[in-house]
Amino acid sequence: MQSWRRRKSLWLALSASWLLLVLLGGFSLLRLALPPRPQPGASQGWPRWLDAELLQSFSQPGELPEDAVSPPQAPHGGSCNWEACFDTSKCRGDGLKVFVYPAVGPISETHRRILASIEGSRFYTFSPAGACLLLLLSLDAQTGECSSMPLQWNRGRNHLVLRLRPAPCPRTFQLGQAMVAEASPTVDSFRPGFDVALPFLPEAHPLRGGAPGQLRQHSPQPGVALLALEEERGGWRTADTGSSACPWDGRCEQDPGPGQTQRQETLPNATFCLISGHRPEAASRFLQALQAGCIPVLLSPRWELPFSEVIDWTKAAIVADERLPLQVLAALQEMSPARVLALRQQTQFLWDAYFSSVEKVIHTTLEVIQDRIFGTSAHPSLLWNSPPGALLALSTFSTSPQDFPFYYLQQGSRPEGRFSALIWVGPPGQPPLKLIQAVAGSQHCAQILVLWSNERPLPSRWPETAVPLTVIDGHRKVSDRFYPYSTIRTDAILSLDARSSLSTSEVDFAFLVWQSFPERMVGFLTSSHFWDEAHGGWGYTAERTNEFSMVLTTAAFYHRYYHTLFTHSLPKALRTVADEAPTCVDVLMNFIVAAVTKLPPIKVPYGKQRQEAAPLAPGVPGPRPKPPAPAPDCINQIAAAFGHMPLLSSRLRLDPVLFKDPVSVQRKKYRSLEKP
Amino acid sequence: MSCASGSGGGLRHPLRCQKPWDEECEEEAVCVIMCASVKYNIRGPALIPRMKTKHRIYYITLFSIVLLGLIATGMFQFWPHSIESSNDWNVEKRSIRDVPVVRLPADSPIPERGDLSCRMHTCFDVYRCGFNPKNKIKVYIYALKKYVDDFGVSVSNAISREYNELLMAISDSDYYTDDINRACLFVPSIDVLNQNTLRIKETAQALAQLSRWDRGTNHLLFNMLPGGPPDYNTALDVPRDRALLAGGGFSTWTYRQGYDVSIPVYSPLSAEVDLPEKGPGPRQYFLLSSQVGLHPEYREDLEALQVKHGESVLVLDKCTNLSEGVLSVRKRCHKHQVFDYPQVLQEATFCVVLRGARLGQAVLSDVLQAGCVPVVIADSYILPFSEVLDWKRASVVVPEEKMSDVYSILQSIPQRQIEEMQRQARWFWEAYFQSIKAIALATLQIINDRIYPYAAISYEEWNDPPAVKWGSVSNPLFLPLIPPQSQGFTAIVLTYDRVESLFRVITEVSKVPSLSKLLVVWNNQNKNPPEDSLWPKIRVPLKVVRTAENKLSNRFFPYDEIETEAVLAIDDDIIMLTSDELQFGYEVWREFPDRLVGYPGRLHLWDHEMNKWKYESEWTNEVSMVLTGAAFYHKYFNYLYTYKMPGDIKNWVDAHMNCEDIAMNFLVANVTGKAVIKVTPRKKFKCPECTAIDGLSLDQTHMVERSECINKFASVFGTMPLKVVEHRADPVLYKDDFPEKLKSFPNIGSL
Repeated sequence: MQSWRRRKSLWLALSASWLLLVLLGGFSLLRLALPPRPQPGASQGWPRWLDAELLQSFSQPGELPEDAVSPPQAPHGGSCNWEACFDTSKCRGDGLKVFVYPAVGPISETHRRILASIEGSRFYTFSPAGACLLLLLSLDAQTGECSSMPLQWNRGRNHLVLRLRPAPCPRTFQLGQAMVAEASPTVDSFRPGFDVALPFLPEAHPLRGGAPGQLRQHSPQPGVALLALEEERGGWRTADTGSSACPWDGRCEQDPGPGQTQRQETLPNATFCLISGHRPEAASRFLQALQAGCIPVLLSPRWELPFSEVIDWTKAAIVADERLPLQVLAALQEMSPARVLALRQQTQFLWDAYFSSVEKVIHTTLEVIQDRIFGTSAHPSLLWNSPPGALLALSTFSTSPQDFPFYYLQQGSRPEGRFSALIWVGPPGQPPLKLIQAVAGSQHCAQILVLWSNERPLPSRWPETAVPLTVIDGHRKVSDRFYPYSTIRTDAILSLDARSSLSTSEVDFAFLVWQSFPERMVGFLTSSHFWDEAHGGWGYTAERTNEFSMVLTTAAFYHRYYHTLFTHSLPKALRTVADEAPTCVDVLMNFIVAAVTKLPPIKVPYGKQRQEAAPLAPGVPGPRPKPPAPAPDCINQIAAAFGHMPLLSSRLRLDPVLFKDPVSVQRKKYRSLEKP
Repeated sequence: MSCASGSGGGLRHPLRCQKPWDEECEEEAVCVIMCASVKYNIRGPALIPRMKTKHRIYYITLFSIVLLGLIATGMFQFWPHSIESSNDWNVEKRSIRDVPVVRLPADSPIPERGDLSCRMHTCFDVYRCGFNPKNKIKVYIYALKKYVDDFGVSVSNAISREYNELLMAISDSDYYTDDINRACLFVPSIDVLNQNTLRIKETAQALAQLSRWDRGTNHLLFNMLPGGPPDYNTALDVPRDRALLAGGGFSTWTYRQGYDVSIPVYSPLSAEVDLPEKGPGPRQYFLLSSQVGLHPEYREDLEALQVKHGESVLVLDKCTNLSEGVLSVRKRCHKHQVFDYPQVLQEATFCVVLRGARLGQAVLSDVLQAGCVPVVIADSYILPFSEVLDWKRASVVVPEEKMSDVYSILQSIPQRQIEEMQRQARWFWEAYFQSIKAIALATLQIINDRIYPYAAISYEEWNDPPAVKWGSVSNPLFLPLIPPQSQGFTAIVLTYDRVESLFRVITEVSKVPSLSKLLVVWNNQNKNPPEDSLWPKIRVPLKVVRTAENKLSNRFFPYDEIETEAVLAIDDDIIMLTSDELQFGYEVWREFPDRLVGYPGRLHLWDHEMNKWKYESEWTNEVSMVLTGAAFYHKYFNYLYTYKMPGDIKNWVDAHMNCEDIAMNFLVANVTGKAVIKVTPRKKFKCPECTAIDGLSLDQTHMVERSECINKFASVFGTMPLKVVEHRADPVLYKDDFPEKLKSFPNIGSL
């Protein structure tokens, strides 16, 4: 009985599987037998031609190298491009030299200050003959200085007409071959690669320094409005983007929903700011949004974005087609937090690097033109588009990003594992033998340079060291401590004064810390700045406090790039300040680094808090006795020249991991740092 | 092809990698299932052991028959693929001579000449591109026809090999659609690559009668050799109204910025000659000119350079005395010396690309292929794809009038920059020049980026060679910004059921001045949190979040309740941290908002004996991780942990109930490239009397598990992102000889 059932089930299974086979196989056979006809709707794509092998190439070998060659073409129709209308032969040697036409007649305060700012810059030259660019400021319509044709006009060749406001005065003479730097030019009149697009600056734009970006946090606060819209009569309102209809007027004919707030003058707190109007209103809103960290969404702008030749605006703004509003809205809603984060930060960086003051705008303009002249040694795009920006990353230093202290991570490289010690020997001129031994003892030390700068003759004998020791003789100004000596071969510099006293393990540890923070200064002794209510100005003190904002350069690690920046980008007047009051040189150096990094310096432990020992350097005392008050005014002079106070305070010190821990000294790598 | 490496998030090139890797993964998965079932069938008899032998044989036979039948059917099913392809071979593979003939009457309309003022927002009908969630334009290709005039004379040569390839590349790409009504861009199959092979007026008439021509709106023409004798226009002379032109050889006068696309002149040698990549570095010749048929003036200039600089400059010309049968295109001569072309280009550092009658020169492609840095001397020439490619990184552009100075200009370039340019030149060729397909896809990508700018490919993706893309780190929090202290931080306590200890932690943490909110993540589904009245009364809002599942990743979820950027993750048993220590930790985080700033420090080590990573919790001089049992970090990392964790790490951690802290350390270090910051000397966190290391537990299995985690994560990340440092952050005056009462953070424990 059982076997019956088993057999039955066996047959059942067999027949079932045969049925399956027949079904599956039959279909395939059927398909073979009846070749399908091309169906009209089926996807076919481009056909594979039977005789594709026989097709001829679009260009026959004999044809590509042409025999007929036309002579170089003359500029078409009076239009200009860089090659045709700019004569770079005048710009040989030291880069861009700019002559500014002096103003005729009475000029406004702004005009005067802009002139002063260009005259103070490294681009300026006082002779029109030696200049490669002649700058014609065309600022205020009232004064009428733009009506006269300048002397060296020469059909406008190598001229730049700078207009901070759109078309302030009617053109009374032909621009000819002159370049125009104009606030938000229309795309139709703009000549790419020749003209320069400027931002549209408000009347009260600060000349120097400028307000920092308004963004206080990297990522948008939860619940912040997605989109802010501009009002027709100026001002902004936030929009509710929850509904599917587009929230802005014009194309979707939608009543302003209840989600839309009342208009307000200031920019509301929103992630995106929609800018769709025409210039100049749109252009000024654009700048407003940029400062606020509200990502500008531009709908088919008919004007050129500022400095579009060098700034990659896709990293900070969204330019979309005004004809597809719903699509734009959907894209904004779906944008990943990572992208929003990146865009927001980029707005702040760009604002701060190129737009926050009139001076920055003008320097950026000149830098753009200099880059055209430099050709291959111009700023790479990375330098323009990531902090600290091209005004602070000089292409004369290097065009390879990995030479700078700012781009190691982006380049996937690391700072070098060695440093150069630079020892300044001022009066009275004792050779710092102990210091040299201590520094040379570091395994990371590559070379020692002694800047012998005093009246005493050079000692004939120097200690034997494992690393090369170079002595540079000659009486120097204090600011020469930060000259970019070509003998310095390493990225890192340990700046020292002959009277500094350091141990080898202090040097080793500080250098390791510097490798983690190559863009900052890493120092042993600190001072801090404060606002002095009584005097209504800044002051600074070397007294030990719970925070600090400067490290003394008599013992500090930093990147060699800061020497170049100190020597070549600072206005001469500032370096003179430092020369006159030697203690100011520390302040100045700290200002530069802080202005570039927007971060405080780093302090590492200084093992011997010798109270009885001589002060480390003039004006750089130990904790007691009280230091002679440093010249208080230089910090105010420097702050005025910078236009703002870049220094930032830190409340921490980086110690070795087991520093002063109650564990066995044998465990500790830097035990000598803890000796009393 | 392994699934793991695919999901590891490699930077694939957008243009050359159209096929998603998942597909391959799927295929593999299918195979695994099939193989498994086969194994099962083979082991079949063993599953019915109690049967008699006779029946056994029946069953074996039955199963083998079924199996055989199924295999046969399966093969039959898969086999016909080739049969099917032979089917479409019947359908699609036609002879090119069989295409329909269209007669163009002599008086049929001619389009307007190209409109020079065209921009995307004026001449391009973007409505056709409609809403597309994938942000991809759809491209339609007109069917191939043969156009003849009234007399039956053909309007142009047959389609060229390159144009056929180009249309095939588009047709095979994601852009293609065969539905003319859904298309946003139309590509005529009328070949205008070379203006010399066509009759201008008749070609224009042929364009005008295309079914969707509409003044050329949204039509894209490809042209590589524009103009004709004697004056050689720099753009295609065929009247084309509003059609976009992808042209090789635009000048600034004809190029409509943001509308046209400048493309390379394809060099057929790219396909014919295989030049293996030659590493960057100094080469035999500093400057080389390989073009033939140069203008005599230019040749004189070049020869003057050769005279002046001797051996380092080589100026080649056509060979005049070649024996029969030698392909003259592939040879160049200098005096009586014969060189192979394009191989000789690999011997030079810089190669001149001079304008001929046309601005665009195919030699540019050969030069890039050879990794030679092109020196472009062609005023007003718009370099290929210049809208997206940064040619400063791969070429030197010299004005024609400066030709005599070219040597000194080139010599002023530092060697390192030259090497970067050589690498970049070769990369440009590989990505955008080497095939017609690469050219076509790059062109479509550029137009696509204009239409969907918010989904556009970034500068880095276009320009960075793969090696740079892999090595570089782009910190998501790159802006140096010290958040204001007033913002404060949100403390997140993950808890299960240790209520007493939890309340103690809450009380302690609430004393920290900068605390702005406290979030308790209640991870216990079997037990309700204590009633409201039982919780400690604290000065800041306290919120309890109940979770759906007891998972460790709940601690890192980006809760909407987190309103501050700073997050303090703290375990419910960390009772020893003082208020000073926590406040100081927050101050440190403000200075390093892109890092993990934490209290318990740990280290990873390479175990040379076992040849793998090892977890270390001893008190060492180095730190590479901080445990998230007590750590500050930016809330953005919560988002990254929850949504962007590579591979299966998140689920793996949840399944193993361990190592979420190590995973967070890996994630942050990998994305920022930076080390952690350990704050304060604190080493004991749970109880004063605990033994030396009061980690979770000291036992060996724990250490082994943690080591396993490190090895697992390192393999998923494909690298070891953790950075080892030897410093920790202490208050400025920590342990200094200074009055304690004047210190900001006096209460910093020593262990």
